Amino acid sequence: MNRLSQEERRQREAIVGDDAQFEALLENAFRVPAPEKTPAKRPARGHWPTMVAVAATMVLAAGAWFGLRTVEPVQAVSPLGPEIIAHINHEPAALAVSARTVPDAEFGDVLQRGGASVRAPIGRVSYAKLCPFRGQMVAHFVVQGEQGPVTVMLLPDEESSGPSTFDENGFKGTIVPIEGGGSMAVVGQPDEDLEVIRDRLLRAVRWKL
Amino acid sequence: MKAGILNLGLRRRYEQVVGGLRQDLYRYALWLSRDPQAAEDIVQESLLRAWRGFESLEDADKAKPWLVTIVRREFLRFKERQREETMDPEVVAQIAEDAADPRVQELRTAIFRLEESYREPLALQVLMGHSTDEIAGIMGLTQGAVLTRLHRARDKLKQAFVEDGMAVQAEKE
Repeated sequence: MNRLSQEERRQREAIVGDDAQFEALLENAFRVPAPEKTPAKRPARGHWPTMVAVAATMVLAAGAWFGLRTVEPVQAVSPLGPEIIAHINHEPAALAVSARTVPDAEFGDVLQRGGASVRAPIGRVSYAKLCPFRGQMVAHFVVQGEQGPVTVMLLPDEESSGPSTFDENGFKGTIVPIEGGGSMAVVGQPDEDLEVIRDRLLRAVRWKL
Repeated sequence: MKAGILNLGLRRRYEQVVGGLRQDLYRYALWLSRDPQAAEDIVQESLLRAWRGFESLEDADKAKPWLVTIVRREFLRFKERQREETMDPEVVAQIAEDAADPRVQELRTAIFRLEESYREPLALQVLMGHSTDEIAGIMGLTQGAVLTRLHRARDKLKQAFVEDGMAVQAEKE
């Protein structure tokens, strides 16, 4: 078994004799690498750790929820908002920071299967998926706002009486009716200019039902 | 619906309180369990439990010892289920070797080898920044017992650092 040289031993004795040096080494030793956000093992759906991983998603979705309530006070007990939150919560990948651009063909396929199409550019789409929502398959995609990802859900069966916005506690969301029926939920960062994105989408999105 | 709104506010507050502690909670769980996968599971389950009981936390300043206690209890549950010690020397060696400084590597290895009764209070003090009084509360010990364990833990590590440094390196080779 190797032993320390005399010199090495003296150096180490000096370190352990100096509280500041030894404590600094000790603290470094304790600070092992740790996962930044999401542990490797995913919890069951609906568990809080999942929610931790997608807290931002939920926060953003809350904007849409509140927005709906503001627009349609007579529907104060509408289950739509919580369901949007729950839906986005179950798809944390959607709002993950991603440099990916969904290919036009793939995006077009999602829209088509969701009964919609776009007739003008809407910017980079980083996520697109056909998702079950209140018994219907709807197009769910993410575009890029000035402040970060903006979630869009095209809801052919959800009627909205008029555009509305909501801004409270730093969250922002809007649900607007779409020409021909149904509505569109747009949820973004607190300081995002959602109206710009909303209007751009309204000009571009058409139902193909 | 109103309950849902309140719930959302609570979740935001929870994230604010817990967010900055998550990594250290993982580290604490790792030093307890000496198993990265177990540490992740323990922290996940702990965060779930913390969320369920978050409304009962009245003072955010007490969040850290509260969370540490939850992680500790979860670890004890984990240990009870495991029944057998599960330290994998290769995994432990990988964690130790992650440090650039070989002296830190050696200390990590030495900490992993400490008995749990010494390793835990040291982690609570050095990693989590708890006072001896807080450690006593978390571990259910007297403050004197905590001081004794901390002193002995450091003595053991210092001895290993001076006496066995090269031995540790030789073993790794």
